[in-house]
Amino acid sequence: MDQRQGPCSSRLLSLVLIAVFLAASPQGVLLAEEGVGDDLTVEEAQLLGERMYREGLLSSGEPMKAVVQGDIPVDGSMFSCMSCHLRSGVGSIEGTVITLPTNAGWLFEPFVGARMTQEARDRLPEHLRRSAFRPAYTRETLARALRVGTDPTGRKLNGVMPRYLLNEEEMSIMLDYLENLSAELSPGVSETTLQLATVITDDVSAEMRDAMLLPLQAHVEAVNSQSRHQERRSEAGPFYKEEKFTAYRRLELSVWELEGPQETWQSQLEAAYQKQPVFALVGGISTSDWRPIHEFCEEAQIPSLFPVTDFPVISDTDWYTLYLSKGWYQQGETVARYLRAADDVGPEDTVVQIYRDDRVGRVLASALRETSQALDWLQVEDRRLEPDVTPSAAFWRGLASEYPEAVFVLWLESADLAGIEALASAGGRPRYVFLSAPLLGEAIGSVPQEVRRFTYLTHPYSLPGEKPRAELATRQWLRSKRLPLTHERIQSEMYFLSGMLAGSVKHMRHDFYRDYFLDVMDMMRDQYYSVATYHRLSFGPGQRYASKGCYIVQLGDGPQPELIARTGWVVH
Amino acid sequence: MIKKRHRFLLLSLLAVWLGLASVAARAAGNETRYELTEHAFVVPRVTLLSQDRVEVRLDEFVESDKPVMLDFIFGTCTTICPVLSAGYSNLQRKLPEASDKVRLVSISIDPEHDTPEVMKKYLERYRAQPGWDFFTGSRKDIDAVMRAFDSFVPDKMSHRPVMFLRAPGSDTWIRINGLVGTRDLMAEYEKLLEE
Repeated sequence: MDQRQGPCSSRLLSLVLIAVFLAASPQGVLLAEEGVGDDLTVEEAQLLGERMYREGLLSSGEPMKAVVQGDIPVDGSMFSCMSCHLRSGVGSIEGTVITLPTNAGWLFEPFVGARMTQEARDRLPEHLRRSAFRPAYTRETLARALRVGTDPTGRKLNGVMPRYLLNEEEMSIMLDYLENLSAELSPGVSETTLQLATVITDDVSAEMRDAMLLPLQAHVEAVNSQSRHQERRSEAGPFYKEEKFTAYRRLELSVWELEGPQETWQSQLEAAYQKQPVFALVGGISTSDWRPIHEFCEEAQIPSLFPVTDFPVISDTDWYTLYLSKGWYQQGETVARYLRAADDVGPEDTVVQIYRDDRVGRVLASALRETSQALDWLQVEDRRLEPDVTPSAAFWRGLASEYPEAVFVLWLESADLAGIEALASAGGRPRYVFLSAPLLGEAIGSVPQEVRRFTYLTHPYSLPGEKPRAELATRQWLRSKRLPLTHERIQSEMYFLSGMLAGSVKHMRHDFYRDYFLDVMDMMRDQYYSVATYHRLSFGPGQRYASKGCYIVQLGDGPQPELIARTGWVVH
Repeated sequence: MIKKRHRFLLLSLLAVWLGLASVAARAAGNETRYELTEHAFVVPRVTLLSQDRVEVRLDEFVESDKPVMLDFIFGTCTTICPVLSAGYSNLQRKLPEASDKVRLVSISIDPEHDTPEVMKKYLERYRAQPGWDFFTGSRKDIDAVMRAFDSFVPDKMSHRPVMFLRAPGSDTWIRINGLVGTRDLMAEYEKLLEE
């Protein structure tokens, strides 16, 4: 292995580039002349600052311009402050690259590495009192850091920190925003307690309610049991761990029961919040559409972690609810992607989806339709089964005759598949039949042998026997909490949530900001061994569905058929 | 016994001196921002999917008559990938008719999230021109590629800033450890052409 040293980039070059950009920027001159900041209200300035920080856009709508690594010009449409410092501003860690906090609580205090109270610092012996790496930023020194990349001591910031080209007005807006970014701890947290809530709707059975709630309560009890003397440690632990220990909070879990029509949920949630403001929602369960709870969280900016729902809101931009999966939607999306990649299906082929006009059918059908449109590949024809229609062999033969050699996607339960074996011998036999394994449930073995060779099923969970260690861990944990195994999927998800909640709360240390809670979740490592229900869960800034997978499987022989995976976990 | 003691003392002094020299060398090296190493990597025969949904065999794709640059990134990366990608973007801007002069390859290390649609949008954000392709694939194949380039990380958040360069027809890959500016990247590109 030969080793060579690369040349060093010139700092001068970056300064020259900045000067050239400033001189060449008519927009910069224009903004300076107009003085955009003069007539703004505080709220307007905050919104403009937020847009600069999060979207990299100036008040003019133009992208912010900057230079990284000495000579690479970048603009705000590529990445923004939020990309690295994250939404809360508390920063990120990626491999060997640590992005320091840029929120008010950190910027305008001396930086000594670990955050300690003055009392704690005064208790330290003289030789352990570390001086600050840098003094607190002022508006002037912060503007200098943003423009030329030096901290208050004159130390040069890493080249990955953009050197921004901002005129005085834009800089003022940005500094105002940073002075308010994560400046105060979020509601629902005190010196001793972190308030959480879980939402349960009245359509949920007692068994499912317990499967969600009891593991969650057991976790809270375990955290509060002081088994590791957390409160004593937080007061008298060694100084080098003080920051970690003083982050300990007891958890208090409120149960918010929602009753009656969905239209009233918003006001019920608001009343519950008024009564007890919470830092975040955890878990929760509903068999109805989760949208009212999702929208409440978006409006109130309250994180919601892993609710048990098959009806999440599908959005690329909403922020505050982190779901385990896309629920039913994932299956329709996966069929569309599978067909997009299939060699023997093209835009000229007919895809017919048949479904009942109920909530599940509508979600599955819209997922296939919307994803097919987004992929700009297949036209999907919808056939809704009327309530008084029960398919029979004649129905299936007629369908094959009407759409010869088509692709049939049947979002139906087993009762609606009576006579489907007729498809095997029908003229114009379909090329593919797709079914949903969760819709068939225990009746999966009733799929007739004759159609299995051209029938494929969506299976959005780990395969049977795929995750024995994770299943064992869940069961042992439940046993240790003296909880019976009643609903493995829900209980496994709550066991997983408990682990993630413990990790994220610990990671937050003193920075109990709601946005940081989600930032921490976004930085979590992919999870494989800790979750039984899914093959793999993964996270990332703005990724709001931890499971991205759904197997396409075929059935083996017999009444209890093996599920034979025909795809990997993720279908692109 | 005395001789043994002397030898031990001598060896100890030598070790201390070597240690100090190493620290001094590292301190001096701080002036440079990146490090280059040469490797004979064998690119695995895996099929990956591009942002345009084109399936390619990676080992064949990098057998190009143009210099090849390869990095590992992902669509929602916080710090490293934006800088790597801005570097690719600026290189394409600086090189006249870049698509004929260099093949830029980015490989997703978050294949669960990075669909062709996500990758296409990502490239659009960085004004990618033809000649810069972003690939995803199965977790198994992506892991195989990372291992082949001695860059395996079990999780994307353990990502490191590395880039790989190869001259046309060469068996040697040059690994750049660290993030580089365009001037340095252009210099390395010019060196590839000289090889």
